Amino acid sequence: MVLTHTTNHTYSHPFPTVTLAFFLRYCSPQLNPFASHVLSTDTISSHVDPETGRLHTTRIHLKKSRMPPAIMKLLPTSLTGGGAADKASYILESSVVDMREGWMSTESRNLNFVGVLSVVERQMYVAPRAADHASGGTTDVETKVVFRSRLGERIRDRLGHPSSAAAATAAAPTDSTSNHGQQDGWLSRFGARGVQRTIESLASTKTQDQLGKSREGMRMILERLRQTGIIGVLELRKMARERSMDAV
Amino acid sequence: MSQSLAKQCNDLKEGIGTADNNECSTLFKEYSSCLQGALKERGIDRLLEDAREDNKENDAAFLGRKK
Repeated sequence: MVLTHTTNHTYSHPFPTVTLAFFLRYCSPQLNPFASHVLSTDTISSHVDPETGRLHTTRIHLKKSRMPPAIMKLLPTSLTGGGAADKASYILESSVVDMREGWMSTESRNLNFVGVLSVVERQMYVAPRAADHASGGTTDVETKVVFRSRLGERIRDRLGHPSSAAAATAAAPTDSTSNHGQQDGWLSRFGARGVQRTIESLASTKTQDQLGKSREGMRMILERLRQTGIIGVLELRKMARERSMDAV
Repeated sequence: MSQSLAKQCNDLKEGIGTADNNECSTLFKEYSSCLQGALKERGIDRLLEDAREDNKENDAAFLGRKK
């Protein structure tokens, strides 16, 4: 069960600016009002490969209710945890930038809820050939999102019962009071395949809406960079930080 | 600036933004170890390993795309 969605877009900004905007896109709600659902951003690692000159960065973002509400409603609380605090997803973002060759590849994937739905977004940013640079520069990006629901297939692995997974799906649950028994019953009632398909297509629809917003957010940062440059953006970031400290 | 997922690492994270080059790498190391602790505390380190394991083949194919 896999659903794939691909889109292409061209930013009317040069490649170096677009890569900068990518790393700044969640840095402040003043800069990007479409990022208010991003609760935190942390850099796990960042280094330049001395051989290739490529910048490798791994970051982790915490995003509020990335799992579409429709899906949350579909699932029993035994799977979702029920509480509002649990409706946040950890997103792992890995990126590689090659300034000399003029490309950046990125990948974002959810770390929790993977048993219910795994979403992997891959982007390839490419600076067009030299001829276009004279005209101010544009940047092409291809976004590919892969949705995969493994509900009922791997959920038991995740819960730490890998050996019982195959047996449990083959035989009817004998212990109906256990959590596993409830899940099996719930799944077979609806049909695991059907639920997987529903989850994938719900998520895909939601993501297509989101992609427009994420592009809009990138565009706002790009405009700011064009108007005030990196110094202006860093100033704004500082101001926002001081303001949030005042509030505390 | 966006927050760190762990409150106790926030000051270090903020510091990096205002530090000069020399201070920066020292601060990043401190922040890094603070973050590693926080990730472990929340069990995210295990999720990270799972994700990396899941994706080893993909990574090779994906990063090898441009040569």
